[in-house]
Amino acid sequence: MIWPMNAQAGLTRVVHDVCELDLGERTSYDAGRLTVGEESVLDLLRDPAFAEVRLGCTSPGDSVRIVGALDAVQPCSKGPGGGGVFPGLLGPAMPVGRGETHVLRGTAVLAAGYLPRAQEAVIDMSGPAAPLSPLSATHNLVIAWTPAEDADWGDVDQALRRGLVKVAAHLAEAALEAEPDAVEVLAEPSESTSDGKPRVGVILNLQTQGRFKDVFVYGRSLSGGLPTVISPTELDDGAVVSGQFGHPALKNPTILHQTHPVVAALRARSDELELAALILCPEPVNQADKELVSAHAARLCGQLQLDAAIATKEGGGNADADVSLKMDRLEEEGITAVGILAEMAGRDGTGPPLVVPPTKATALVSTGNYDERMTLPAVDRALGRERIALLDQASTDEVELPVAAIYCAQSTLGWGRLTCAEAEIAS
Amino acid sequence: MRIVHYVNQFFAGMGGEDAAGTGPELRDGAVGPGRKLASLLGDEHEIVATAVCGDDYAASHPEFAAELVAGARERGAEMVVAGPSFTSGRYGMACARIAAAASEAGLPALASMHPDNPGLGEAAGTAVVASGLTARQMKDSLERLATAALKVAAGEELTAQDGRIGPVARTNRLADRSAAERAVDLVLTRLGGDRDATEIPLPDFDSVTPAAPIADAAEALFALVTEGGFVPAGNPDRLESARATKWVRHSLDDLDSAETGEFESVHGGFSTQWANADPNRILPLDVAREMEREGAIGRLHGEYLGTTGNGTTVADARRFGMEWAAELRQANIQAVILTAT
Repeated sequence: MIWPMNAQAGLTRVVHDVCELDLGERTSYDAGRLTVGEESVLDLLRDPAFAEVRLGCTSPGDSVRIVGALDAVQPCSKGPGGGGVFPGLLGPAMPVGRGETHVLRGTAVLAAGYLPRAQEAVIDMSGPAAPLSPLSATHNLVIAWTPAEDADWGDVDQALRRGLVKVAAHLAEAALEAEPDAVEVLAEPSESTSDGKPRVGVILNLQTQGRFKDVFVYGRSLSGGLPTVISPTELDDGAVVSGQFGHPALKNPTILHQTHPVVAALRARSDELELAALILCPEPVNQADKELVSAHAARLCGQLQLDAAIATKEGGGNADADVSLKMDRLEEEGITAVGILAEMAGRDGTGPPLVVPPTKATALVSTGNYDERMTLPAVDRALGRERIALLDQASTDEVELPVAAIYCAQSTLGWGRLTCAEAEIAS
Repeated sequence: MRIVHYVNQFFAGMGGEDAAGTGPELRDGAVGPGRKLASLLGDEHEIVATAVCGDDYAASHPEFAAELVAGARERGAEMVVAGPSFTSGRYGMACARIAAAASEAGLPALASMHPDNPGLGEAAGTAVVASGLTARQMKDSLERLATAALKVAAGEELTAQDGRIGPVARTNRLADRSAAERAVDLVLTRLGGDRDATEIPLPDFDSVTPAAPIADAAEALFALVTEGGFVPAGNPDRLESARATKWVRHSLDDLDSAETGEFESVHGGFSTQWANADPNRILPLDVAREMEREGAIGRLHGEYLGTTGNGTTVADARRFGMEWAAELRQANIQAVILTAT
């Protein structure tokens, strides 16, 4: 056979671990210590939509609550000015995912504050909610702002999105010459496998519900389109950037696209299977379009000769249908379908767990019950918003919230360990 | 043990739907099926009073349960038993609520209904045992209820073998591995030939048989209801934008249209820009009034009922549905337009 041209193509990920984060005069990275140059970062965030921008730092274990978390981005860069990362937003809208990318692992640039339609998301850096959020485990540069008088909220949203990726690229640039902690070679999927390992694909459903509820691929919404096959390495370079702020627990922020946990888990099992494809799908709002996209995605998986696919979603109950329909169509194509979904079983966990369950497929992984409540102890300091509007309480108070409000606690991209099981029967 | 037994207006001999609006009351001794239950419970126990309430009243006034439990305590009740309510939804909900209210007040409690009764979800962890489908199975149902009640009275926990029914709670916990790793494990397990492995058992949903079409719309009383987060401007009831736990009602009297600035949508699941530009898009009051004037519909009910359908739990949604149905029935509504978003 002719060896596919792209068999050796792929991405070299040069990893620099961040163990310490603080603000300083000049941005620098040295042996795990990231210093954020305050002036240069504020310069990057300058925009007519903002009256003022404020920076804060927080690390795992701090008695800190971040309220109103919006998007979070992992710093990465391919060279000065970003070298093409975040294509369509920062770099030119051209395919990425090859060459060399430096990433700062263990840190995130995070925006927190008010946007319309954004449901209030909470991150606790310590305490009982900390194990639930990927952003409780990173050293975070938190960006808060006051919008300019009469600023259009859409402009604020765009300024934040562009600002976050600019700052992310700027921070990673500081590590371009540093000795890496790890160098990882990530192959692009090949067209077929000769050694009989099962070919497994990832179906990444992206929300497409307009302003404040959209996800950007090369800077563009997938709204109205059909499924698209890209290389998983394009995710590493920031080809998918989130602009979706509903359902805090179910949110898939940019950092989880850049480090897609299912992609990572499949790469880690490359001795047993092959990560064979990544399929991006829009999540249309009407049933007929959901059916079309699902049937089309399943057909693509067939053409890619997949043996199995793992489907994820973004959003609430509506998006259960986007996973369930695809699982059913995949099973009809003879492809094993596994879905990752959150349960919405009511406060006491006795309600039906799914809004739209599959009818043919049955293999599901649970990221826990959205409605179960948790008590979060009082904290010393809050970043983002000073009050939790949902509860009309100070952000530093002891609060009782559903898991639904904990940022990314149930992201179906699969970072978390939260799950659900039947309670022990009382004896 | 001194027991208070709960039955609805029908089993108390007060009448059927015509008496469904009757408020709560306590009567001395056993009434209706309570007499047979009393004999099955034996000499060590006594039904000292029967709590009664109309099904519609109970569905639309959840506080009836606490009132009856307080009354039962005044009469020295040491335990509360409710039903059997078979597959009757409002009666089942009332039985579940009174048993839950008794539990909350620290009394042992037990309800009886068919496993398909939609009221089952309201029991909030209080024990419920299975009854038959209809009152034709009264005898067997009472025998099971009595046997279970004796166990509860003795302080024993009921199990499925006693006929205990009700959803088993699923609770959150941390797994050893991430969801992504477990999904990959599940792929390999399934490819290995296991066709059943899963973490989420698939739910069964109720199916509802639609009511027969109304014979003549020009004669019918219409109500407008919505899950579109439709509220008077400023949201005086603080209706939630997501995960609603309540519903609201507001007058439509003297209104020809849902005017901009007087009503708004607080729904968190979609952009409310267009709804707020013309609130009739959520509650079509303008068109309904026009049809009322033209005589195309008989008359429009004087208030709307509304909630927010966005991440609402099925248990809450089911409760709203039963409460709305009772309200609308009491108001003699023949047709309802539910605008969904």
